[in-house]
Amino acid sequence: MIKSMFQISPGFEDIMPAEYLELIENGPFEKRVGVSDLGAFKELLEEHPLCAGCGLALSLRLILASLPNPEDTIIIGSTGCSALAFPQVALHNIHSLFGNQNAVASGVKRALNLRFPDKIKDVVVIAGDGATADIGLDMVLHSWFRQEKITTIMLDNEAYANTGGQESGMSPKGTVLNMAPKGKTFSKVSIPELAREAGCAYVASVNPAQPKKLEKAIVRGILAARELGPTYIQVFSPCPTNYKFKPNETISKVRLREKEGTYETKEFLSTEARELFARLEEEKK
Amino acid sequence: MYVKVRVDEKKCVGCKLCIFACPDPNVLTYTENKKVSADENRCKGCGLCVSSCPKGALIIS
Repeated sequence: MIKSMFQISPGFEDIMPAEYLELIENGPFEKRVGVSDLGAFKELLEEHPLCAGCGLALSLRLILASLPNPEDTIIIGSTGCSALAFPQVALHNIHSLFGNQNAVASGVKRALNLRFPDKIKDVVVIAGDGATADIGLDMVLHSWFRQEKITTIMLDNEAYANTGGQESGMSPKGTVLNMAPKGKTFSKVSIPELAREAGCAYVASVNPAQPKKLEKAIVRGILAARELGPTYIQVFSPCPTNYKFKPNETISKVRLREKEGTYETKEFLSTEARELFARLEEEKK
Repeated sequence: MYVKVRVDEKKCVGCKLCIFACPDPNVLTYTENKKVSADENRCKGCGLCVSSCPKGALIIS
């Protein structure tokens, strides 16, 4: 996609929404912007209906700002809180059936390879923990086994948040939620380790309290997916509505969990990915 | 109750930590004189920027 494609036809400037005009004048397309430039350009996300203090919205905002090639990125979403924000995202995005996001992304990636063999097209899956770890685990795991070149990003809010607060596979053991009164009986599913064993080239677990680290993980995940194979990034994004804490405590909760050691940031690189990043670093110099 | 964020321009040092903490896009913007300005109409009043500001330049009211 090039900038001339979404330019407004002459004579229609006064009826287009102000947000669209801002996106054309000051958007991130065809510029090299990152998380550190936030606040100086028009973001790809618009006013969304997610709750005040939502960790997921913060993570999504940072993820969209750190995409290395936003004009040629296709986002595949799935049902969940994140799906409520996707209609406000100024990128090509597909809403898939609950849990089908990686199967849809595999098809999209293959079709784009046939249609545009000489262009770089990034296919990025952004889904919640329910779609990735519970309902869609089958599709996610098999896309990794097949070595599809897609990036899977999980926004982990540790619950089914927009249906009233049911426990998910990613909730910690003993969690009591609105619709899980007895407390969860088994511990948190460890998807990063699962991804590593399933053949992902790059696996990371990050959180929005460290935006630079998050940006680095997203960029690395997408670059590794272009050349090597599937990549997986898990972003911790706590939910103040269902976990019953004040909306201004989201970031301190993230820091507390990391200090306690119950949600650590980690990174795993395969040997091929290590070589690729070393090569890219040298090319930059 | 309607709450929104306000920036005290005298206290703001332009470190941008509040911009990285806000879950809503385009609320806090970085102006040309190296300060942060807030678009009050977009703010949901969660207070994450207030708890992240090291200088106490932001208030929710």
